[in-house]
Amino acid sequence: MSEAVKKDQPNVAVPTVTFTIDGQPVTVPKGTTVLQAAKDIGIHIPTFCWHPQLKSVGACRMCYVEVEKMPKLMVSCMLDAMDGMVVLTDSDQVRQGRRAVIEFILINHPLDCPTCDKGGECDLQNLTFAHGFDDSRYDFKKYRFKDEGMTSTYDDKKIGPEIMLNRNRCILCYKCVRSNKEAFGEYDLGAFERGNITQIDCVPGGEVNNPFSGNLVEICPVGALTNSDWRYKIRVWLTKTTPSVCNFTSSGTNIDFYKEDHQNKIFRVTSRTNDSIDNGWIPDITRYGYQIINSPDRLTTPLIKKDGKQAKASWDEAIAHIAKKYTEIKSSVGGVCIGGLISPSLDNKSLYSFSKMIRTVCKSNNIDFRGDYRMLPNNPSSPFGVLRSQPFSIAAIDDADVIVSFGSDLIHEHPNEYLRIRKAYNYTNPKIYSIMPYEVKSADVANIEYVYNPGTDECAINAICLAAIEENLVDANLAKEYLQKVVPSTLKDAVTLCGLEENNLKVLARSLAEGKNITFLVGEIVTRSKARDNIAAALLNMNKLFGISSKGQISILARYANSKGAEKLGLLPEPIAQIKDVLKKNFDHYPESEPRNTDDMMAHIRKEEIKGLFVVGSNPMMMYPDKEFIKESIEKLDFLVASDLFETETTEAADVVLPLAGWAEYDGDYINLEGVCQSAKQAVKPNGQSKPAYEIIRLIAEKLESKNFDSEMLDKEIVACLAVDTTIAFPIDFIDVKPETEEISDANTLPVFIIDDAHHSGHLTEKAPSLNNFAAEAYVMMSEELADKNDMKNGDSIRVESDMSKLILPVKISETLESEVLLVPRNFQSSPVTSLFMRKKRVDRVKISKVDK
Amino acid sequence: MHYSPVITNAEIAAKDKDLHLFQYVEDPKQCEVETFVSRGGYKAWKAVLDGISKEDVIETVKKSGLRGRGGAGFPTGLKWSFVPKDSPKARYLVCNADESEPGTCKDRVIMERDPHAIIEGMAIASYAIDCHLMFIYIRGEFTHCIEKMETAMKEAYEKGHLGKNIYGSGYDLEMIVHTGGGAYICGEETALLNSIEGERGQSRMRPPFPAIEGLYACPTIVNNVESLAAVPHIINRGAEWYASIGTEKSKGSKLFSLSGHVNRPGNYEVPLGFNLKDMIYDPAYGGGMLDGKKLKGVIPGGASTPFLLPDMIDVALDYEALQEKDSMLGSGAIIVFNEDTCIVWVIKKLIHFFRHESCGKCTPCREGTGWLEQMINRIEAGQGQPGDLEKIEEVCGNILGRTICPLGDAAVMPIQSALRLYRDEWQYHIDHKECMVKSNFELK
Repeated sequence: MSEAVKKDQPNVAVPTVTFTIDGQPVTVPKGTTVLQAAKDIGIHIPTFCWHPQLKSVGACRMCYVEVEKMPKLMVSCMLDAMDGMVVLTDSDQVRQGRRAVIEFILINHPLDCPTCDKGGECDLQNLTFAHGFDDSRYDFKKYRFKDEGMTSTYDDKKIGPEIMLNRNRCILCYKCVRSNKEAFGEYDLGAFERGNITQIDCVPGGEVNNPFSGNLVEICPVGALTNSDWRYKIRVWLTKTTPSVCNFTSSGTNIDFYKEDHQNKIFRVTSRTNDSIDNGWIPDITRYGYQIINSPDRLTTPLIKKDGKQAKASWDEAIAHIAKKYTEIKSSVGGVCIGGLISPSLDNKSLYSFSKMIRTVCKSNNIDFRGDYRMLPNNPSSPFGVLRSQPFSIAAIDDADVIVSFGSDLIHEHPNEYLRIRKAYNYTNPKIYSIMPYEVKSADVANIEYVYNPGTDECAINAICLAAIEENLVDANLAKEYLQKVVPSTLKDAVTLCGLEENNLKVLARSLAEGKNITFLVGEIVTRSKARDNIAAALLNMNKLFGISSKGQISILARYANSKGAEKLGLLPEPIAQIKDVLKKNFDHYPESEPRNTDDMMAHIRKEEIKGLFVVGSNPMMMYPDKEFIKESIEKLDFLVASDLFETETTEAADVVLPLAGWAEYDGDYINLEGVCQSAKQAVKPNGQSKPAYEIIRLIAEKLESKNFDSEMLDKEIVACLAVDTTIAFPIDFIDVKPETEEISDANTLPVFIIDDAHHSGHLTEKAPSLNNFAAEAYVMMSEELADKNDMKNGDSIRVESDMSKLILPVKISETLESEVLLVPRNFQSSPVTSLFMRKKRVDRVKISKVDK
Repeated sequence: MHYSPVITNAEIAAKDKDLHLFQYVEDPKQCEVETFVSRGGYKAWKAVLDGISKEDVIETVKKSGLRGRGGAGFPTGLKWSFVPKDSPKARYLVCNADESEPGTCKDRVIMERDPHAIIEGMAIASYAIDCHLMFIYIRGEFTHCIEKMETAMKEAYEKGHLGKNIYGSGYDLEMIVHTGGGAYICGEETALLNSIEGERGQSRMRPPFPAIEGLYACPTIVNNVESLAAVPHIINRGAEWYASIGTEKSKGSKLFSLSGHVNRPGNYEVPLGFNLKDMIYDPAYGGGMLDGKKLKGVIPGGASTPFLLPDMIDVALDYEALQEKDSMLGSGAIIVFNEDTCIVWVIKKLIHFFRHESCGKCTPCREGTGWLEQMINRIEAGQGQPGDLEKIEEVCGNILGRTICPLGDAAVMPIQSALRLYRDEWQYHIDHKECMVKSNFELK
């Protein structure tokens, strides 16, 4: 897919230089450093401060090389290769230089490797063995940092919820400070003092709690930064690694599990660099999210509800019970009265067998994987579906000259893509724009941040198009056609509605018109909006007007680890046409029944037309933005089967609960937002009696006498599905777009948006203690101004009240928000914020008031 | 007091047709824009804007032979010509007024007593490189200089020498007085740029040189106060005049800060090539050794330059002659030591300074200066051990030429030279656990 995007770019010949390293001739593009060139041909030059994703600073001086005709040793990380250079990486002079550097570094470094947590994977330890002296010539007392209140100089200092700092071990490579600033855009870590008493520390009174903070520990070459999650629990050489991919974001960032077999336990996650996806950075959710696998709260045995109470049961009993009930429903009212809801974070095989079971065993099209979106369209080729199906490449962001993020709070939804955009910002300096109904931190890389009035998304998009037309930036005939389809059709009117500035819009319009390689990504604000089809239509019009897709990429990004897989494997109630054709071949009979998505299923449960619901890994009771609606529906059900890793509100209501294995506990394939299929290998054995979803489904299906669920058969059918290109063609004509506005009945209310906390994703991560150290309870986020206006302070408990319900939540003042909007995180079971929301609203509004003490 | 009581040779400079930097420094009124203008100030700036092309300004400065007065002595005009002509980026001029090399206090005098001369020089340099925003980065401790420069800047704006459409020429030029936070390293140009950007004051690796990628990654020229103050005079009186002063390769006049055991420590403007012996002994300058003691040695160019022995001081003060003596002209800070000075004590003081000022970025300087200080302190305290001198030499060798910026070199060069020239004294310290000389003074 990335090739498809890249092939249209002109193939510019890059000038090259040829020179020799240790006698080996090497030709590299001009501007390549000697260090990089050496790496490319497999010559190892030792480094401490160099990192492939950071700008070189030449601080550690470890990467010395000797260059003929140059009098001094050169640092190869800062030395651009030049024609005819003769480079030596292992001469006597070089070895002497390196030895001197190691000697200098060891002056103040403790030599207590046996008690240091980094021992065994420490760059300094390794390089000292390879290049250092056998003995120390330094005969003075080593400098020791010791803060007031510390009992020993070996006391570590906590500088973040998960980060411990030992300044005595620090060798001042500055990689942590540099990556924090350069790669993550965070300023919560710095260097203090000067010379040989320089120390890394968090800013006074602050802490390092940004959503990428774990990376700082991972790139520390010594034991100066360690994370509380891993330190002193096990020695690294006692663990084994298992390759896997992230299950909490849709990028599928590549990771390694560090596990120990006897304890059947995972100890940590680190990045497994894949430059086409993640550049070696992983967000904290990915790093600490694995802890849910080890959680003592895991469901371990099946439960069957008897006399209103769930009691432990064996798998045989549970499966038999389910089969019996399904047979009853099938024979009395028909299998079409059974529905299924599954989590898009599950692997391909689980998703596919789920669809196969619902469609072939129950013979119904009551199936969905989108349990946390309201009022979804059933038609897969609706404007929303078209835009959703478009290809997207993460690596293509590197080459873009214009990057637009529309309706996405990137750091919270797509942290990996934010880092990629930030990389472009650092290296290629494209024009970056962020368009959102409220201010977001990720706009810190944007040339202009556009903030439109909540609920006027399509208007904001039209305003960009109208600005281009007013400036004569687009084809006049296209403009004419376009103007007949949109309301309002003047820039002035559109601007009045959406609240954006004309001149700023013209800047954006010009970039879109003149850009040669555009990346336009669309996020959750659109996917979650009830008006998603209307907004997507406006975006499709924009695409046609500017020709974005023909010179880059435009897509609504998938949100979950395998959302893309779910779409490609036909988990939609009405699958994408190409997939439906494959399914018809795969299945003996493709059911004729009405396709029903989450909303329709719930509505039909209320009408008692659906009797049984099978929920796997999904928790609609907490995640669907209208808790009341789901709750009433679920109560009406005759028979609910729920399978999850933990007890959730949904499993509590279930007649049969089945313990589900986590993604680290079995082999599975996942398709990331680019459509790339990646494998996650089994790291540990499933906890208790839990089983992977596909196994559970096979057991039920076989009990219902279906023989079509053996692994080989499923694999073949999945391959057939994945071979199909699911891109839906863009519509030929412009689409009518009118603003869908809502009356604001009460002027005292404020718009409220659901977000994911920056350290949580979905409903499971609150079971990861490390992530809870960053945020453990729900809050209501607002701007400082709004808080002042209402006389509220950070941490104050306030009442948040909508037409649906009210909650007491603590105030959290945001550093980035300025608009009068409220943001509530949906990740905490103790305060299910979705109860405030109503499914038929486009923009939910709430009142806030102080709680009397 | 309106300025620091420093002895200058203003009287000589006023009478000498060629000396130009110190002509009016004893007149407090020189700080006021009216007086400055009445004495021909801003004439060169006006002339430049009236119709001298940028190329001609650079050419004139190139021809004049003016070399950077901050220490490195790089030709100023040549440096200006490195700014890429076709770059779409903004350009910046930064005047380096972070004067903090021990012994050096020449720029301070100009800032205090003739601030408009600096502004005029900066303006002309800005014009030459097509810069519209210029900075002067003043050492944080120089509060009086900061006040003086700010007042002068305000006056210059008020009188239309700075601001929009200067003298109706259509040229805009803004100025910012930026103060340092008290770090020697910020006098190093790349660290200075980091400091202006709000980053930690640590040097950057070159290339890219600031002229290509400096402040905010834009082409930037960093010039010393003294270099810039000379520019208006070069424009007014021509490159030939300037080139006629000094020696064949070291042209123009230079400020020297004379300190140590002389009768008249002070700041003196002399043509380059002036004899060091005369500087120390001439009654109009140093006026001879304090209390008639014997001379032991001289540091000719600031704390980071190697020593000269008494038999080496009959030398011209210019870039080439000092280099022949294995030393450097540097920033022109001449520090004179008499026979009572313990050289180990001097080095102890110097290495303490450099260790304290090492920025902490690159390993050899950060760790090496600390180690050197400990070893030298130990010798000075009479606890030196056999082999210490060899170890010091080896550590010096591991720092010299191996660091990002010249601070590492600056720290080890005086040590290496002291070990070479005064080896017996070091050895005496180790062998006898006491000083060879009996100092009758103790500077704290």
